[in-house]
Amino acid sequence: MEATEFVLPSMWMGIAVVVILFAIFYYVGWWAAKKTTSEEDLYAAGFSIGPVANGLAMGATWASLATFMGVIALIYKLQAPFVYLWIQWALSIPLLTLLYGTCLRRMKAFTPASFIKVRYGNEAAIVIIIWMCLSMVMYALGQMIGLGMAFEVLFGLPYKYALVIVGIATIGFITMGGMYGASYNAAFQMVVMIIAMVVPMSAIMKAMGSSGWWFPPLAYGDMVPGMLKQIPEFFDMKYDYRWYFALIPAFTMGPIALPHLAMRVFTSSSIKSARWSVVWFILFLGLLFSGAYTAGFAGNYFTAITGHEIAKPDQTILILNVFYNPAIVAAFVVGGAVAAGMSTINGNLMAIAGLIGGDLLGILAPKMPGSKKMRWGYLALGIAGIITILLAFSPPPFLVTSILWAFGLLATAVSPSILLGVWWKQANKIAMIVSSVICGITYIIISPHVLSNIVVGKGLVAALGMSGAMVTVPLSFASFIILSFLFNKMQMAAPSLEDKKMIDRIHGWGIDYEEARYNGVAMPVVLVILSAIVFYWGIQPW
Amino acid sequence: MKEQLYKKELRNTVLFVVLLLPLGHFAQFFKLFPSLQGGSLWGFPVHYIVPILVGWFGLLILAIIMAVVLNKFDDEMDEYTSSLEDKNSGDTV
Repeated sequence: MEATEFVLPSMWMGIAVVVILFAIFYYVGWWAAKKTTSEEDLYAAGFSIGPVANGLAMGATWASLATFMGVIALIYKLQAPFVYLWIQWALSIPLLTLLYGTCLRRMKAFTPASFIKVRYGNEAAIVIIIWMCLSMVMYALGQMIGLGMAFEVLFGLPYKYALVIVGIATIGFITMGGMYGASYNAAFQMVVMIIAMVVPMSAIMKAMGSSGWWFPPLAYGDMVPGMLKQIPEFFDMKYDYRWYFALIPAFTMGPIALPHLAMRVFTSSSIKSARWSVVWFILFLGLLFSGAYTAGFAGNYFTAITGHEIAKPDQTILILNVFYNPAIVAAFVVGGAVAAGMSTINGNLMAIAGLIGGDLLGILAPKMPGSKKMRWGYLALGIAGIITILLAFSPPPFLVTSILWAFGLLATAVSPSILLGVWWKQANKIAMIVSSVICGITYIIISPHVLSNIVVGKGLVAALGMSGAMVTVPLSFASFIILSFLFNKMQMAAPSLEDKKMIDRIHGWGIDYEEARYNGVAMPVVLVILSAIVFYWGIQPW
Repeated sequence: MKEQLYKKELRNTVLFVVLLLPLGHFAQFFKLFPSLQGGSLWGFPVHYIVPILVGWFGLLILAIIMAVVLNKFDDEMDEYTSSLEDKNSGDTV
């Protein structure tokens, strides 16, 4: 069987598409720079983005370069269970918005750490900023390396040159435009991504003789035999039930705390608009993700009917376009993949800038004038980008391969702090710091990435952090609650009346304060019991 | 009224979390009840396509319901807090 690799028929056509896209990104950045006159503009686009644009931007921020490349390779490797893993990403923003997004939008937070600072104090905020920055750097690094490699393959440049060119070009328009630029560019990038994923796939399916060309995301049922010919066990629901359950603590609870996703909710023009943004987000993300599943099937169908084997599965969508579509379409699909990587870096770098320039600077230099803080914010944005490029030159293997693993870290070290802080007045500052630090470090220790002889779980479940999160996420919730009861009883940093009033305010009660509200015992006790059950299940042999 | 609003907020939040989670993790039902795995839909095994459909359109419908219900709840909350502010300003005059 002949092995096929991706080669763009005309390099200049690829360059032209990428240059046109960058020209648009820079134009949006330049236009946005003129609108950016305050910290609110820089970090939250002046709290002004409407529901459709924000829904598109949410989708673009979530969908990374992996949607165009890595997903298809992983579909072949993990098969149907990987599709199940991918489907549940759509829960992230709805849950985030429901559980704390609208509350924090009401207090006009720039990042979730802004809330942590007000709710628990500066020390707690520094802990959360460190966890969040670590996850954002890992995330941005993965995207930057992907973009460097995409440019390397596309234009035949050595990796380091490709990385510098694409890195500096990307950081330039992000730094120029701040959150206004990031939001409108991300909305545009999502449109490019959806068109590049779905429309050319329709032409490919028609050329391959598939009857589902009229709606590629769902009408590829006639490709199922092709998939089964290549991978007979593709649809098997392998793994035990615990594997499917473990998706919740690691991959549903983690993204709730992703700052770049939360910031998309905060940029909404109103709380009501944020909720409608979620509706558009689900619609657009579903279209894009379903298109990626189709590409996975089309790749196998292609091999079954042509005899060409796709040498590198992460190039599937590019190879199909080169084989069946005109060169200009293939170049546009490359543009879609580039847009996917950039939209995520947009969000990652804006989150780092918000955390460092907005939250950390607010702690270290609280009296600094707003205009000066804004200049520091721009500087933080630029420096974060440059650090990402420098790390991408010679990336630590652990950071590159562990973006999904970092979700479990956030679920352990950050999600309980935000959720209990918003919904429970007794959540104690010292309990938060202790549970976040100890459980976060425990999660790192029991993963196979640091101390390979101390691991909970084995193989892929351990590498992805699923088995680790099944232990440390419930441990974090339970220890936070139990220590809060204990420390409050001992009068150690018990929440003040002002802390408690703030909780009522962010839930929309205004000046009306009621001590009993969000102050019950039943909810935390039930959570501790549920956490104990999940923890016990998690520590059983995998 | 404020007691009712508080209970409504908690009820809405718990209810929507309980509905959201299974929609995003619908494949679990096919694992829990293997007898559901038999059929096919549009050429796909049901245990493949149904979780995709539910995780997209099911979630979409629930998000629309959430937006309508929670935005209406916000209106009730605003009505209550503004009546409270009016009362307070009346007291000070």
